[in-house]
Amino acid sequence: MKRYWRIFREFFRTCLVEEMEYRSEFIGNLFSSVFGIGIALLTIQIFFYQTDQLGGWSYADVLVLLGIFNTLQGFIHFALRPNMARITQHIRKGTLDYILTKPVDSMFYVSFRHLVFWRLIDVFLGIGLIVYGLMEKNYVPTSGDVLVFIISLIASLLLIYSLWMMLMTTAFWVIRIEDLSFAFDSFFETTRFPISMYRGGLRVVLTYILPAAFITSAPAAALLGKWNMITTLTSLLVAGIFLWLSRKFWKFALRFYTSASS
Amino acid sequence: MSIVVDHLNKQFKVHVRQAGWLDAFRSIFKREYQIVEAVNNLSFTIQSGEIVGFLGPNGAGKTTAMKMLAGLLHPTSGAITVEGFIPQEQKAEYKKMMSLVMGQKSQLIWDIPPMETFLVNKAIYEIDDNSFNKTLDELVALLELEPLLNKPTRSLSLGQRMKCELAAALLHRPKVLFLDEPTIGLDVDTQEKVRRFIANYNREHKTTILLTSHYMGDVTALCKRVIIINHGKLLYDGDLDVLTEKLTPYKLLEVHLPTLPNQSWETYGEVDSIEEGKVTLRIPRERIREVSARLLQEFPVHDLNIQDPPMEEVITLAFQEKSHG
Amino acid sequence: MVKKFMALLRMKYIEMFAYQWATLAWSTGAMVQPIITMMVWINIYETEMESFILYFSTLILVERLTAAWDVWDLDRDIREGSFSNYILRPIHPIHWAIAENIIYKGLFLVVLVPAWLVSSFFLPSLQLHLNGWEWMLFISALLLGGGIRFMFSYSCGLLGFWINKVTAVYAMFEGISLFFSGRIAPFSLLPPIMQDISLYLPFRYMIGFPIEVITGSVKGADLGYGFLGAFIWVLIFMGILGFLWHAGLKKNQAVGG
Repeated sequence: MKRYWRIFREFFRTCLVEEMEYRSEFIGNLFSSVFGIGIALLTIQIFFYQTDQLGGWSYADVLVLLGIFNTLQGFIHFALRPNMARITQHIRKGTLDYILTKPVDSMFYVSFRHLVFWRLIDVFLGIGLIVYGLMEKNYVPTSGDVLVFIISLIASLLLIYSLWMMLMTTAFWVIRIEDLSFAFDSFFETTRFPISMYRGGLRVVLTYILPAAFITSAPAAALLGKWNMITTLTSLLVAGIFLWLSRKFWKFALRFYTSASS
Repeated sequence: MSIVVDHLNKQFKVHVRQAGWLDAFRSIFKREYQIVEAVNNLSFTIQSGEIVGFLGPNGAGKTTAMKMLAGLLHPTSGAITVEGFIPQEQKAEYKKMMSLVMGQKSQLIWDIPPMETFLVNKAIYEIDDNSFNKTLDELVALLELEPLLNKPTRSLSLGQRMKCELAAALLHRPKVLFLDEPTIGLDVDTQEKVRRFIANYNREHKTTILLTSHYMGDVTALCKRVIIINHGKLLYDGDLDVLTEKLTPYKLLEVHLPTLPNQSWETYGEVDSIEEGKVTLRIPRERIREVSARLLQEFPVHDLNIQDPPMEEVITLAFQEKSHG
Repeated sequence: MVKKFMALLRMKYIEMFAYQWATLAWSTGAMVQPIITMMVWINIYETEMESFILYFSTLILVERLTAAWDVWDLDRDIREGSFSNYILRPIHPIHWAIAENIIYKGLFLVVLVPAWLVSSFFLPSLQLHLNGWEWMLFISALLLGGGIRFMFSYSCGLLGFWINKVTAVYAMFEGISLFFSGRIAPFSLLPPIMQDISLYLPFRYMIGFPIEVITGSVKGADLGYGFLGAFIWVLIFMGILGFLWHAGLKKNQAVGG
């Protein structure tokens, strides 16, 4: 564990050095992040122009949810997405061989090697939005709320990581995997709204098969004091299962790679 | 014994794609495959500290065999041990004692200086500060890396980059080194430097090295022994000197002339090719000096080149030798 | 010329199958956002479910058939310098993009129309009762919309000769267009000020207007004004495209590909 932390710190440092090469883009990046959250807020405004609740969530509740969505999206763009394009290159150009000959877990290496720091802007904007939503609602989370929130957020991050990793693993078979990240974005879009907004079969799918419910709705509900222990533990369990699945899938893909490629 | 390869086989299933309006559509449902034997019943052993040249034409199975040795590919059948390890098990201990360098593929990160990649490798291979500094100092001195360490990789020339690749691969002091085309695309001068470095490094650290290259120069400078394969099969395993002299007792003499006199060249040697303004002759090794002198005297020669026959030809000859014998 | 174009079509067709999974990912992915938005509106006005289903199904169809991804391709080609290869060939580069659009949109049509027909057995609101004239109006509006969106995207792509991050600029336009093209909400649900603005921007004519034609929410004089607006935007973008093309070539020759 300590060793992997040290390796991660090296990744962190080298990526910082790499990003300094392109620091001139900072203003443009800041602008596009602010623009993105602006569009999201405007969309919510348009819906609430016609109603005062969405699936039982008030305007302020939805703001908190959107804040969590933005934070998680920032995390995806910070640590996961930058690696997506690289893995295709690694496989196509054969440099994956270097990674596989190194005494380091290859799944860890391919998923965290590249970090894009300016995307942390989205994380900060998201946190800002969460705080604003709570103020709008005039609600101060209890320490119990915060604890459950942190647990559900960890489960949510693990889930996102596992789903993303499974998608990345398909790079062994699928060319132009960049297009697949678009499929992930589409799925991730469903977490922009409270899960209670979806009905019938779709809600079941988004809770248990593609567990969108645990990604934003559960942490948001926790922070708003509407949590229960069963949901929280379920989210941890589901996250664990998905992490295990993604690990199995990666190992399977490597077995395929090591005995079928040239 | 450092490397033992025993009756190694590797087959691939290759997807055959056709181009046509209907075929493209059909390929969604049904795919046709072909079995390719990339490595076929290959056996050899390599002693610790030996440098062996691993040769063969394109597609002969060299890279496939090397990847199996590095543990990147699973053999279809047969066995490999390297320093007592079975590569395909991909044990961390094995990875820490070997290294793979591919001339056409880079492990350095494009936008940042090589030093950063070295530091990442330091963390990955768990090299302690002391030995890292010692090894790095030595490599910097041997490869003349000092001015390159802190420049972004993208601003380095191909040769400079290759030297850094070698350093990155050697930081953890591997006992076994796999070099796949380490000098490809480099200029003659840098090729020479890389060769000298490999030879020195091998002498000092007793590293076992398996090397593939298209350049005869690499092989003749570094390897006493060569292993030649074609179509995945072993053709020759033994001394390089014996092989070259036996198979190519001649050199190629390229004569550039302003106009080609209309005459028979057979009196000078066997004609390899005649082009506009250029004649290539095959001359026995011991007659090279004499024939060159004669040509220079009798014709207004623009330029005269003496070359070893191309590697491909040596291998082809090796192959013919086998089928004759 | 026809022969050349057929060859382009054939090449794009084969290419489509090589990228079959990617194509599938894009197509299914593109349906998600409209479906989510539809869910939101059904939540807000439960009694209007039928008309939202029709509106957003049409949205998916129209959005796919007018989709424009040319800006991404152009941006990449110009940045990596491979666009020069297209300029060198004895056929105007825009034909590659047109051929690609025809092939992919043909695929969308082949997938989406049967899907629509099957769905209409279960969802009566999808059963259309349009006469020939109305069909013709819809198809014209769709073609105009596709044309405007294509030229808009291609023009943005050509900006790549001057600026680095055209895709970021385009993404910004896409963000704005969400509101003014009828993708977030049918125009009647937007605040009045946004409804007014949408009439003067090109985005409505790309997607929203063809949907309004099929759902019958524009009639009479408004229909005429809608087509007039679409025509004007087609002309404007033809002008912009032509201008950017010539200026871009000059720029390209000046600095080299």
